[in-house]
Amino acid sequence: MLTAKNVSKQYDKSYALKDVSLTIPRGSCFGLVGPNGAGKSTLIKLIARVIENFEGTITYNDMPLNKDTKRKIGYVPQDICVEQSVTARQNLMFFGKLYNITGKELHEQVDKILSYVGLSDKGNDRVHTFSGGMKRRLNIGCALMNNPELLIMDEPTVGIDPQSRKYIFQMVEQLTQSGHTCLYASHYMEEVEYLCEDIAFIDRGEIIETGTVNTLLRTYSIPSIYIQGDNISETFLECYGELTKKKDGFEIITTNPLETMEHIIQNCRKKGISLSHLELMQPRLEDVFFSLTGNQLRDDS
Amino acid sequence: MQAVMHLEIRKNVQDRGLLFWMLILPIIFTVLFISVFTSGMDKEVQQQVTTSIVPGYIVMFVFFIMITMVNSFIKDRNHGMAARIASTPLSPMSYLIGKWVPYVFIVCVQMIVLFIFGKIVYDIPLEQPIVIIVLTLFLALAVTGIGLALALFSHTDNMGIAITQVIALGGAMLGGLWIPFDQLPQLLQSISRFTPQYWAHQAFQEAMNGTLTVTVFSQTIGVLSIVGVIGFIAAFFQFPRFLRRAKS
Repeated sequence: MLTAKNVSKQYDKSYALKDVSLTIPRGSCFGLVGPNGAGKSTLIKLIARVIENFEGTITYNDMPLNKDTKRKIGYVPQDICVEQSVTARQNLMFFGKLYNITGKELHEQVDKILSYVGLSDKGNDRVHTFSGGMKRRLNIGCALMNNPELLIMDEPTVGIDPQSRKYIFQMVEQLTQSGHTCLYASHYMEEVEYLCEDIAFIDRGEIIETGTVNTLLRTYSIPSIYIQGDNISETFLECYGELTKKKDGFEIITTNPLETMEHIIQNCRKKGISLSHLELMQPRLEDVFFSLTGNQLRDDS
Repeated sequence: MQAVMHLEIRKNVQDRGLLFWMLILPIIFTVLFISVFTSGMDKEVQQQVTTSIVPGYIVMFVFFIMITMVNSFIKDRNHGMAARIASTPLSPMSYLIGKWVPYVFIVCVQMIVLFIFGKIVYDIPLEQPIVIIVLTLFLALAVTGIGLALALFSHTDNMGIAITQVIALGGAMLGGLWIPFDQLPQLLQSISRFTPQYWAHQAFQEAMNGTLTVTVFSQTIGVLSIVGVIGFIAAFFQFPRFLRRAKS
């Protein structure tokens, strides 16, 4: 279990992180969500011990972070930090050696990781010949060379194709199923919603909300209905809730969507209105994100 | 540390640009300048000119390793590799030494290859080979010491390249690598004694002719050591700042 208590990090006079506390249970996939410049990468760098000076405490299995805990943690940076001019195999061997893995064990681990990240047949190719998705997978593979208990991933799917993204999702799922703990930072809401059980929202260096995906969705999302059909007028729908024109139909925001849908169907039958589309809009994490962080651009972060 | 050294050597061995700068270009310059400056001269003078030009261009081109060192450190800093390595159990000092040692090795190999080229093609004298090897090692330490400092102080590749040009070409001009030392104006002769290029070039020539005295050898080693140590001290004090920038 990883615990951060009252963690603050200051650059010059401004706080990159302010009084951050969170707990990541063992064997879970924990999502860290926030806009650009919110402090995600700073927090991740503190946990990965890339940055060592900060206020507060971070413990892993009740031990303060030190050289020994580094061996149990794998760090996937936001940038593709692999050596492009050498082969995938040589990159993995390099990172293995940094963890004092040598000889037969090193070669076996390299083969295992190449297979795990789907690059077995590309192991002897130089990385600069790889596609973006292959480089991203290798980037993750390098962090797995020490078989870490905790894998920290900082936006691991930026700029890749859907196939590679799906592959990375499967890898993360397999890792958590096999008992690894994952810290997954992203601003792609659908990824966090799909992969993580627990989430922390971070904004302007502070944790502004934590909880399970379902709890957050229930708390912050407002349910709505999408309706489309011939001869449906705004006046007919106004009584059901807050109405917004959307594409060829309307979105109705209501506190009781199922009951409202039932009423709409009954009234449409009575008045001879034919519906072509009636849908209960699922609440999304993105809605939670916007209600917590607002819609303002964050270029100043 | 060995992992960093292996990766650095592997990267550089595969770099064709480095091969061009470190071996092909000095050979081209050496051949061209010897052919220009020795045409129509008698054999004895030809030998004297060759014995000056071969070590002159070796000393000059050795300094271009600093460009590669700057590129390597800046790439590690800007692309996140230095930060990523900081998350592993490798200590920062092991990283620094692991990055530096391969360049000492590369520069030594470069000088040895160029001396062998001079011997095979121009039959240059190598009367004191052990002394030449020791000088080679100390020149490599001096150059990579300055290179290390430059790599850690440079904000951009271009800044590193510009400063390398000033050090390599300015030092070559002032150090008498292009024009025989005794033909330089008096003022430049005085200034040249402050350049490592002058000391290395003079010592190499004398060692090749078998006339290098213990005094001059010691003076040269002393000067090269001072230059190297100044570079290392500057690099040592700049390294934490380099790491802070890499990690932020």
